[in-house]
Amino acid sequence: MEEPPLREEEEEEEEDDDEERDEAGPEGALGKSPSRLTAEDVYDISFVVGRELMALGSDPRVTQLQFKIVRVLEMLEALVSEGNLTAEALRMERDSLRKEVEGLRREGPPASREANLGPDKMVVDLTDPNRPRFTLQELRDVLQERNRLKSQLLVAQEELQCYKSGLFPPREVPGGREEKDVLVSRASSAGRNKEEKTIIKKLVCCFREQH
Amino acid sequence: MAKKTYDLLFKLLLIGDSGVGKTCVLFRFSDDAFNTTFISTIGIDFKIKTVELQGKKIKLQIWDTAGQERFHTITTSYYRGAMGIMLVYDITNGKSFENISKWLRNIDEHANEDVERMLLGNKCDMDDKRVVPKGKGEQIAREHGIRFFETSAKANINIEKAFLTLAEDILRKTPVKEPNSENVDISSGGGVTGWKSKCC
Repeated sequence: MEEPPLREEEEEEEEDDDEERDEAGPEGALGKSPSRLTAEDVYDISFVVGRELMALGSDPRVTQLQFKIVRVLEMLEALVSEGNLTAEALRMERDSLRKEVEGLRREGPPASREANLGPDKMVVDLTDPNRPRFTLQELRDVLQERNRLKSQLLVAQEELQCYKSGLFPPREVPGGREEKDVLVSRASSAGRNKEEKTIIKKLVCCFREQH
Repeated sequence: MAKKTYDLLFKLLLIGDSGVGKTCVLFRFSDDAFNTTFISTIGIDFKIKTVELQGKKIKLQIWDTAGQERFHTITTSYYRGAMGIMLVYDITNGKSFENISKWLRNIDEHANEDVERMLLGNKCDMDDKRVVPKGKGEQIAREHGIRFFETSAKANINIEKAFLTLAEDILRKTPVKEPNSENVDISSGGGVTGWKSKCC
C-alpha cells in the first residue's frame, strides 16, 4: 500500500491553494471533465480508490487488482501531465501570436500607407546595386553624344581614307576646320543639318583636292 | 567640276518589337554579317551605307531603335526626321505580329505624313517555328498599302532587296534637282538633302 500515505502528504500541500477541491473533497476529482483533469486530481482519485481497496481487506485477489489499478493510475497521471504541458505550450504560443497580431495591427496602417503610394508610383530598394538611377534625359544626352561621336568618327575615317589614298598631302589640311562641332543625332533638324554641312564640306574638300 | 561622294541622303528608321531582329537586319545590310548573341539596343543607334540607284549615289543613314517599351519616348522623337520606316516583326513570334497595328499607329502619330513605310517579317529561315503565315503578313501590308518582304538576317534573304526597294520608293518621290544650281540649300525642308557643288 503506497498510495494512501503519499496522498496524505500531497493533500496537505494542496489544501491551501485549491479551494474548489476542498469543497468537493477528493471524490470531486471523479466528477471532473477529463479535459480539465490535473495530476492532483489523479492523486485524489488514487486516494479514494486506495481507501476503498483497503476496505475490501487483504484478499490476494484484491492485492492483484490493486497493482493493476496503481499501474493504470500511473499511466493516467503521465497522460494528464503531458496533456497539461501541451496545453500550456499552446496557450503560450497563442498569447505570443496574439501579441504579434496586435503589434502588426498597431504598425499596420502607416506601413500599408507607405507601400500604397498610388497606381503610378514605384518603390526603389536603395540597397539594390541595379536600382534605377538615371533619368530619361540623361540617357537621351548620352545617346546623343554617342551618336555625335560616332558620326565624327565616320567623318574622320573618310578623311583618313583620303590621306591614305594620297588624295592630298598630309600638311595640307582641308578647309571647314572651324566647324569642329559636328552635330548629329539630334531630333532637332538644326543639329542634323549642321552635321550634314560639315560632312559634306569635308567631303567636298576631299574630292576637290583630287582635281 | 567637283566630284560628289553622294547625291542624296536618305534617313531610314527601323521599328518593331524587341527581339524581332531589327539590329541584325541592319547589321546584315551594313556589314554583311550576322551575330547570334542577343544584345538589346539601348535607345537608339545608327549605321551608314551608301548605295547606288539609277546612277545616283545615295547615302543611307539608318536609325536602329530599341523595341523595348521603356525607350519609346526616346525612339519616337526620331520618327519625324525619317523618310522611310521599316516595321519589323518576327514570323516565329505572334505577339510581334499583333503589335504591328500599334507600331503603325505610332508612325501615324510621330512620323512625317509622306513617310515611306515597309513591313518586314524577319527570321523566315526558321520555318519550323513559324507562327505567322506569309499570307497574313501580305494581307496586313495590302490593307495598309505598304510593301512587304519576308526576310532573314541570318540566312541573308531579301535584306538588301528590302533596303534598296525602300530607297527606290523614296527616290521616286524625290523631286529632281536642277543639275546646274550652284547654291543648294541643304538645310531646306522636305527631308531630302542633295548638293552638286559647294565651296569650302
